[in-house]
Amino acid sequence: MRYRVGKVTLPYLYLLSATILLVGLLVLPFISGIAMSLQSMKLSGEVKWVGLGNFLMLFRESRFATDVRNSLFYILGNILLSTPFAYGAALLISSKFKQAFVFRGIFLLPWIIAPVVSTVLFRTMVDPAMGPVAKMLSTMAGKQIIILSNANLALITVIVHSFWRSFPFIMLFLAAGMASIPDELYESAVVDGANGWKRFIHITVPLTSNQLGLSLLMVTIWTLHDAETIYAFTQGGPGYSTETLAVRLFKMSFINFDLNMGSTIGVILILISLVFMFFYLKLSIGKDMEK
Amino acid sequence: MLKKAIAVVFAAAMAAMVFAAPTTVIKVANFYDPMVESAKASVDWFADVIAQFEAANPGVKVETEVFQWDQIDVKSMSDFRAGIKDHDVLLSSPQLMAQHGLVGDFADLSNYVKKDFSKAELAEFSWASIWDKGDVNGKKLGIPLGVHTRALVWNKEMFAKAGLDPNRAPKTLAELVTYAQKVQKSQRDAGNSDFYGLGMFFGPSRATIELYFAPLIWEYSGDIWDAKTKKASFASPAGVKAAQFCKDLITKYQITPETAVTGTYDGAILDAFVNEKIGISWGLGSYWISAVQDKGFASGVFPPSPEGRADKMGISLLPFTKGATFNNSWDVSIYSKSEHKDLAWKFIQTMIKAENIIGYPDAGLPLRASLWTTPAMKTPFYNSWKQAVSTGRPMPPTAHYGELADTVAAALQQILVQDSDIADTLKKAQDTYNAQYGGE
Repeated sequence: MRYRVGKVTLPYLYLLSATILLVGLLVLPFISGIAMSLQSMKLSGEVKWVGLGNFLMLFRESRFATDVRNSLFYILGNILLSTPFAYGAALLISSKFKQAFVFRGIFLLPWIIAPVVSTVLFRTMVDPAMGPVAKMLSTMAGKQIIILSNANLALITVIVHSFWRSFPFIMLFLAAGMASIPDELYESAVVDGANGWKRFIHITVPLTSNQLGLSLLMVTIWTLHDAETIYAFTQGGPGYSTETLAVRLFKMSFINFDLNMGSTIGVILILISLVFMFFYLKLSIGKDMEK
Repeated sequence: MLKKAIAVVFAAAMAAMVFAAPTTVIKVANFYDPMVESAKASVDWFADVIAQFEAANPGVKVETEVFQWDQIDVKSMSDFRAGIKDHDVLLSSPQLMAQHGLVGDFADLSNYVKKDFSKAELAEFSWASIWDKGDVNGKKLGIPLGVHTRALVWNKEMFAKAGLDPNRAPKTLAELVTYAQKVQKSQRDAGNSDFYGLGMFFGPSRATIELYFAPLIWEYSGDIWDAKTKKASFASPAGVKAAQFCKDLITKYQITPETAVTGTYDGAILDAFVNEKIGISWGLGSYWISAVQDKGFASGVFPPSPEGRADKMGISLLPFTKGATFNNSWDVSIYSKSEHKDLAWKFIQTMIKAENIIGYPDAGLPLRASLWTTPAMKTPFYNSWKQAVSTGRPMPPTAHYGELADTVAAALQQILVQDSDIADTLKKAQDTYNAQYGGE
């Protein structure tokens, strides 16, 4: 009996330390964050329960609407650029082309460079005095273009930087998926007269949809929560044209020491993340059921 | 035999550790990273001060902690809230003193000042308005280490080439625009196509409100924050005029580059001036005196000497009739949870000794009145800076200064970059700020 009890409880004992860490480092801060979002703390330390007051204050602001819009544009722009490039890169590194291994290393570089380093690199490229991109645009336009002082161009630049960093991650997932597709499928398709594009659309894309879905979900969540690269790039400016919810959270919590409003934005970010998770999971479960 | 010897030595070492006089450690927080070249002079200065203090206080060791300059205040506040006691002396920003006053993370130094500052010593510091900026509700939370102020500087050679008197500063905003236009035309006619007459900075930074927008609102008889109602007031007619002036510099007169909205304050004001990309620089800081000397615009001014002069550079107060330039400083404070407040105060006294503070690279201009009576500080070059020190104003004592600065800078950028309606943009920004922080 004692041996059976020990055999039953032992696995749980092994899990105990990990559970304690999970609760202590994840669950408790999560609950604390939600509690802080429902409170207002004066600088003197006096805490007042305000319920949804912080949320209502944010929803009434035009700045909050701008932050949400910028966040969605940031995610959408990143995904729309990353997906086709990731597929192209994955096809290249998965091919039997002899020098494919060279491209594997080159395509992974953006992902392994530290975010702040890549931000500095991009800033240099768009610098109006010496940046090659800025000079090229100015030559084409016939007048000086100061990219980061233009609201639309600044957001586009931030999106392009994010895509450049994100597509290698999606590429790796897709390449792994492509490696598991049997060659016989492609051979049969060739015999049936399918050209390269049709083989891509009808074989490669459907059979890598799970990998695509998962990688896009992860990139979406990361992009939604990305504050460091935008803050290093533009600090959310000019005006609020590149300020996303994550950047606003960073400014409120760590620059202006308004932890309650920062927590409020944090809760909103979690809710948006859950919506994306639900959406992606529903799509992928739906596809599995169809199969 | 050998084993016995080792055992004796080990026992003696253990006894020494146990029975040795305990060492008190005090921690001094600053923002001078020893790995950063530009911080080397300040790192060395702190090392000298620490060596002096430790020699005078046997049994006391000083450890330095390094934080970013724009995070040190928030670090202190958040550590205080978390109950951390492990700080003693910290550098701090007077603009955030009201916030520190509410949080309670800085100790009241009033009794120390009363006890250890004679009347003469107090007079040394209190002549400049910056002395009181470390005070909140009658408590002295910070001791200023020097004065940072800003001036209008111009390239004398370019003035002469444009037919302007190289020794005469523009006296009004209208004259400033005229001078900048003439210098710009002269330089562009000579082939310097990317030259601009006037350097300003409107980036997403506190510098935008401190050096440009606030002084302009003061000139137009307004204020960015009303001390009576404790609400932001930058959307007043004075605020609209100030924003319009900034916008006109870029769009109407085209004497200030669009890059004023991006980039860095150093780049727009110091680098552009010393690299002769602009003819007049508004807001050159007293902390850049050594930099302009290094580029040949002045000589013998850092460290100050009686022969100090600025042959290539004119310097004057900003062209205001009613307004003022912005003055601030780095303050030094004691953490309220410190367990070594008396020692921390002794360390501060070592820092501010006349023979030490004069050599502190980041102090800016001297705060001690006696240091201004030396021949080195009585040159025409330093007389101009002293005028700026005497007439400067600080930022308003709001506890939400960071958010106020952020809001104004963003509104100004929207006006300059997105061409949004000035009155409407300022009103929306002011209302948003006041909805959250108005009345404090």
